[in-house]
Amino acid sequence: MTFDLVDRAAIAGIGYTEFSKNSGVSTLTLALRAIKAALDDAGLDPDLVDGVGTHRVGDSVPTPVVAQALGITDPRWFTDHFGGGGSSHSVVGQAALAVASGAADYVVCYRAINSRSEFRMGGTGRAPVEAIETQYQAPYGYVAPPQQYAMVAQAYMHRYGVTERHLGAVAMTERKYAALNDRAMMRAPFTYEDYLASRWVAEPFRLLDCCLETDAAIAVLVCRAEAARDLKKPPVLIRAAAWGGGQMLFSNRQPEPGTSLAARMAPRLFRSAGLTPADVDLAMLYDCFTVAVPLQLEDYGFCAKGEGGEFVLSGATAPGGKLPVNTHGGFLSEGYVHGWNHIAEAVGQLRGEAGARQVPGARIALSTGAPGYVGGVTSALLLRRDT
Amino acid sequence: MTDKPLPQPDRDSAPYWEGIAAGELRLQRCADCGAWRWPARAICNRCRSFAAEWVTASGLGTVVSWIRTHQPFIRSFADDAPYVTVEVQLAEQNDIRLIGRLADPGLEPEIGQRVRAEFTRDPALIVWRPIG
Repeated sequence: MTFDLVDRAAIAGIGYTEFSKNSGVSTLTLALRAIKAALDDAGLDPDLVDGVGTHRVGDSVPTPVVAQALGITDPRWFTDHFGGGGSSHSVVGQAALAVASGAADYVVCYRAINSRSEFRMGGTGRAPVEAIETQYQAPYGYVAPPQQYAMVAQAYMHRYGVTERHLGAVAMTERKYAALNDRAMMRAPFTYEDYLASRWVAEPFRLLDCCLETDAAIAVLVCRAEAARDLKKPPVLIRAAAWGGGQMLFSNRQPEPGTSLAARMAPRLFRSAGLTPADVDLAMLYDCFTVAVPLQLEDYGFCAKGEGGEFVLSGATAPGGKLPVNTHGGFLSEGYVHGWNHIAEAVGQLRGEAGARQVPGARIALSTGAPGYVGGVTSALLLRRDT
Repeated sequence: MTDKPLPQPDRDSAPYWEGIAAGELRLQRCADCGAWRWPARAICNRCRSFAAEWVTASGLGTVVSWIRTHQPFIRSFADDAPYVTVEVQLAEQNDIRLIGRLADPGLEPEIGQRVRAEFTRDPALIVWRPIG
């Protein structure tokens, strides 16, 4: 069966809260602020919202609480998925299916986290999230995403000759973009020597290989494309959405850890969009850690396997490069909102609102969720400017 | 330190942890097609048979990756840091990979290194000893 979602749904509004290390407010308050900002961005009457979606790992407010707080008395559609960054783009993809099918008209999707001040990933300050692999790993002192991705990175780097020079280039490139972004939490440029001098977290990762744990919320409004054209901002069309999974990091019928779940999902994402990687003007690649950028450049087909590090080092992903990547500074320098600031940045770029970091003539953007090593799922969106 | 996380067996994994306490690496194996299952679970992901037996594996494997943790994500491991964790691919089947530690904190990890399971007591866990 063909999967015909092409351009039927749109992102009509985006909303941010401030990014901080301590919001001082609940995740409910964060969610409501971001949602209200997204509705104001679109110019939509909140009474018309009839769907709510999010994903969580036991760290945020559920959708019924948000819906009630917003005065949505009869939500026609919801999704409240258990999952981390691999699920981020899935929520927006599912909302697109919902509005395209008529299950809902106006869906607000959000992620609201106090991931620095309250619920840090990986057990620092709280018990680890329940997962089937925990019993096999925690007794060995292995629980946190930096450790899990470091394990992937070591095998990947060994196999393909990727080095700290390449990982450092990812971190430095993203910081160059952050210097052009008022919202970014870390804006001061640094040198390769600074990168090498930053403290070890879990070898082969230094501090500057790791994303910024952040308190923030982001919301997006999804509706049918023709409905979006009646709202305040130019619609950003959802050209395609894709979902992938079926493996876990530690046992998965895949003997090669240097290739992610995205390698199997990306061809169907592009096929259902009628596009190829060469059509993409800019990419927001889930960068929980530096290594995820070269890995996904390869697995989404922008370069051959093993060449992602050289691709970054060549400047291809930097400002003015042939494929600008993470133009907001990414999770490494703007802040970490679990995939959602990638979606919001892609929308801002396609609307021509990115200011000093605007990619000239941006028409097609790829935005990706976590590539699936932790949690066993991934998801991504291809977005397109309407005109 | 005594407050390190202990194994938390569930209804599927209890025989695995009993094996380790007895000094054996016991794994589930499909009684129909012979594929090894990891972690323990009801169905074979090759032939979809529910039939399985618990078999003592060779305990031999290869280090496919390793990390050295400096930041104590678990506070009870703070005194160990920096410490090495390895990912070991078992000789039996190339998609079975166990997270563990080397037998001696002074050992340097290396990808491709062949290792053999050894067993600790209190807590009962696997550690990996490099072999020639």
